[in-house]
Amino acid sequence: MISVEELKKATTVKGVRNVRRGLNIKDESNRGMYRPDNRMGLERERLLVETYKKTEGEPMVLRRAKALKNILENMTVYIRGHERIVGNYSETPNDVFIPLDLTWRSFRRMIIEGEAQTLLDDKGKAELNELCKYWDGKSTRDIQVKTFKGCEQLEKYWQYDGTYMWSHFYENGTLDYEKLFQVGLNGVIKQCQDRLMEINKTIPFDYMEQKNLLEAVIITCQAAINWGHRFADKARELAAQEKDPERKKHLEQIAVTCDWVPGNPPRSFQEALQSFWFCHIISKQIEFPSTGIGLRIDKLGGPFYVADIKAGRTTKEDTLDLLRRFWMKFEEQGFAFTPSISGIYAGVQTLSSMTIGGLDKDGKDITNDVTYLILDTAEAMHTVQPSLSLRVHKGTPKKLLERATDVVATGIGYPSFFNDESLIPLLQRWGCSLEEARDYTFTGCVYIDIPGKNAHRRSAGYFNMARTLWWALHRGVNPETGEQYGARTPDPATFKSVEDVMQAFLTQVDFFINKMLQVENVTKSVYETYMPRPFKAALTRGCVEQGKDIGGFKDPNDGISNFCISGGQTNVADSLSAIKKFVFEDKEVTLPELIKIMDKNWEGHEELRQRILTRSPKFGNGDEYVDSICNEVHCRTEAIIEKITDKYGARYHWDGSVVSLGYSFGVDTAATPDGRKAGEPLSDGSLSPMVGRDMKGPSGVLASCAKVDTLHSYNQLLNQRFMPQFLKEGNKEKFVSYLRTWHDMGIPHIQFNVVSSANLRDAQKHPEKYTDLIVRVAGYSAYFNDLSKGLQDNIIERTEQGL
Amino acid sequence: MNSDIKGLVFNTQSFAIQDGPGIRTTVFMKGCPLHCQWCSNPESQKAHPEIMTTDIKCISCRKCAGLCDAISFNSKGRQIDRAKCNLCLKCAEVCPSKAIEQIGKYLTVDEVLKEVLRDEALYRNSGGGMTVSGGEPLLQPEFVTELCRRAKEKGIHTALDTCGYAPWAVMEKVLKYIDLVLFDVKHMDPAKHKKFTGVDNKLILSNLKKTVPMVRTWIRIPLIPGFNDSEDEVKEIAEFSASLKVDKVSVLPYHEFGSAKYAKLGNTYPMQGTASLGEDKVKSVVTSFQQYNLEVEVGG
Repeated sequence: MISVEELKKATTVKGVRNVRRGLNIKDESNRGMYRPDNRMGLERERLLVETYKKTEGEPMVLRRAKALKNILENMTVYIRGHERIVGNYSETPNDVFIPLDLTWRSFRRMIIEGEAQTLLDDKGKAELNELCKYWDGKSTRDIQVKTFKGCEQLEKYWQYDGTYMWSHFYENGTLDYEKLFQVGLNGVIKQCQDRLMEINKTIPFDYMEQKNLLEAVIITCQAAINWGHRFADKARELAAQEKDPERKKHLEQIAVTCDWVPGNPPRSFQEALQSFWFCHIISKQIEFPSTGIGLRIDKLGGPFYVADIKAGRTTKEDTLDLLRRFWMKFEEQGFAFTPSISGIYAGVQTLSSMTIGGLDKDGKDITNDVTYLILDTAEAMHTVQPSLSLRVHKGTPKKLLERATDVVATGIGYPSFFNDESLIPLLQRWGCSLEEARDYTFTGCVYIDIPGKNAHRRSAGYFNMARTLWWALHRGVNPETGEQYGARTPDPATFKSVEDVMQAFLTQVDFFINKMLQVENVTKSVYETYMPRPFKAALTRGCVEQGKDIGGFKDPNDGISNFCISGGQTNVADSLSAIKKFVFEDKEVTLPELIKIMDKNWEGHEELRQRILTRSPKFGNGDEYVDSICNEVHCRTEAIIEKITDKYGARYHWDGSVVSLGYSFGVDTAATPDGRKAGEPLSDGSLSPMVGRDMKGPSGVLASCAKVDTLHSYNQLLNQRFMPQFLKEGNKEKFVSYLRTWHDMGIPHIQFNVVSSANLRDAQKHPEKYTDLIVRVAGYSAYFNDLSKGLQDNIIERTEQGL
Repeated sequence: MNSDIKGLVFNTQSFAIQDGPGIRTTVFMKGCPLHCQWCSNPESQKAHPEIMTTDIKCISCRKCAGLCDAISFNSKGRQIDRAKCNLCLKCAEVCPSKAIEQIGKYLTVDEVLKEVLRDEALYRNSGGGMTVSGGEPLLQPEFVTELCRRAKEKGIHTALDTCGYAPWAVMEKVLKYIDLVLFDVKHMDPAKHKKFTGVDNKLILSNLKKTVPMVRTWIRIPLIPGFNDSEDEVKEIAEFSASLKVDKVSVLPYHEFGSAKYAKLGNTYPMQGTASLGEDKVKSVVTSFQQYNLEVEVGG
């Protein structure tokens, strides 16, 4: 079996370093956004522009298909010495992926004169300039700007003011790998040809759109198949020169595999992985930048592995070797983020997670040998990507929880645990059928998804609940400028109870989320018109059947298409709790006085701040007083966003992943009545207690979280930190019983940082000794060294649950 | 039984994993007839509420000084003349930042039980329950009996962590509602026991012998350098433990974690400067116990 060291030595890791907080505050930006050995590849961009120039005037869906074909036909393909699963998105393994067709200004700025100058040399920078000239006026963002122009509302509320950040980044969505494994892309092509014959007979009104789409799907599928053949040729070429018999065998196997998939249904576990990887890398990067994985690798891969073993085609040892090499394909991936987005995705590569465990469509546990092989691999590899999402239900084997505990105990921050019994009913309420809901998966973070489901699934952006409360306490008027920016809510001096404050808060949420989603809904049309996705359509249910692109139709009850990441809920709950107790019950301070005090960042009122910190009930301590308020914050804000739909009538939902926005957006959030000072970070997960305020141990946290009704809210994120000893030896069994309890209490999610504060502090002092140290930031893990000092401190401050 | 009865409790610690089987909630009763020199919970000793200070939390608002002659401020910050303190606890009440904190509150059985029951699911999954510890729970037998009776009614496993120093008649009554006793054995020599803990061990050992046939018992041995860690002393304790039919022996190696609390209470730590025991030493003690066919664990 190949050694982990050998694989790591051959890999260039890419994680974006956070260089901003909020929009403008620099956060150690002088260290640069990328590791010094990271580069930007220009090949895709060059080939894309080449096709765009040649195809002007043609239907956009065909232009995009032909561009993809040109890229796959002419880009560099490489097979590295350690690889058994192949497929690359850029010309060298050092490259981060930058999509200029989506947006180019920020990227150009950061590479030419900003925080990412190391990505290109002078020659590269010159070419980048040339390529950007082509996109000037044509990129998706340029078209969006043109579309918004002249509309005061859209132009104004598109901008980040601290309340929310609308963003092009990123889209999720999971391909229908089940279909890929059943019929292969040849099967899809056949399906398209049949559909073309059919419409030639039926001549529907949308004949043209259907024909264009179906032809585009065929072009991209054929291109993907031919791409496979290019790798097969390359492998044969290398095999012919190879002296080492074992490597020669591997190369020959690659050749056979890549000739067969993704065109045909895989015949082995290796072919299944290879077929997945080709389609994953094409759809998620080369065709369009998107994050996540979403593959239920054990559910789909298990049967192949069992058959391989039965037929004597492979051994466990050989499969582990294969998985290790497969793992590095993820660790090698990297996205470019703009500097302002780096604050939200601190340390992120491509935010990729695979899902293991859970129920199948019939409600049976799917755990199989591959589930364990994946955990073995994750434990041995100790990488940031791919992270693992483990679905837990009543029937999850104890052995699986024990193995998962071993992996968590290594400190890598995953698997992250998800509760089937909480999330399946939630998905059903959102409109998914029971069968679909049981097949849910995670693409990254807590981004919940249904494989293959018709969805142009993206996050509209990032929403700051704590700042929204601030608007409610200021009648929607910015006290610095006097501008009526938010909704006109009543004067806080007239509020008679905490319910009045809650109402004003909800009105502001309603106001701002509507503004944000207007931007989103208009931009969706820009995407549909200018960024069709024929390859993704090939493996998205309903597209070929209806001859429509992924954004071209939708079941209004599809449940999962539209979401918006939100953070700061815990600060809102703790703040409302403080207002209820100190203003309306104990009458220590009036609301207008409290607001004035916060406007001055508690200056001269440290006593009151301390009293609130020590005596106001805080979320995370199992205190009904505040837990019920927190539940209301979650459920009532969800009810508001669910009233908003896209043009197909599909509803929006919140998403609790938070990423690192609690840290980033904190900088733009004034003092809050919970005792938090201006600029300090917000809570680190939608369900996480505010750092340092959970005083009743892990079970106090669970008790609070259990009060938040998942069914009437959304998918949440809960971070917990434990001392490593608690997961090991005699304590392991106790940790497993704690996990069972978490599950029984109906909490949708939990994940762990298992590294001691002492170690983290030492790592700050001696980063060179800790190049491998991984921490969980939010729904993803990152290398500790990629995070700014401020964010590192924020992670250290998270309550360390002791023994 | 009187349900209005109150107990003086100084802490309820949830998620305790070293006070009996599974994951537990430990209820710490305040007041102890022993004053062991190594005591890591000095705030548990006095049988009345008192104040504990954390200077770093003080914001110098001087609210406390305005109320009390025993408190003054100088260039080094807040000073408390403990001799003048009449334990009115008003300073703790007004202190905004808990730089002065009240230790010990009189709580009803319902109040304590509510906190204990919160973690029922955790006990069920882990085989845990409630442990009553201290201080010495047997100093408040009526409250502890009622608390344990009510907990058992709810199906909660109960453990009593005791030094064993109480009249047998008192102890016997409490044990009716106890599933497991964590019984401290500190030394076999009455004189040395008295010197380090304030009382001799006759009553304790006699109670232990009567307890074992009645209730499942684990013996806990705080292993203290210079007190009971010599080869002979360990051997004596092991021999005695083996002569009783106990389920398990837990060795609790000396640590200094509680030392900072002495200053916070206005006292000095009697064992200042005592080094922790090395891993080898602890291992050899464990081996000595194992030689008597005892199930031994370190901690817990």
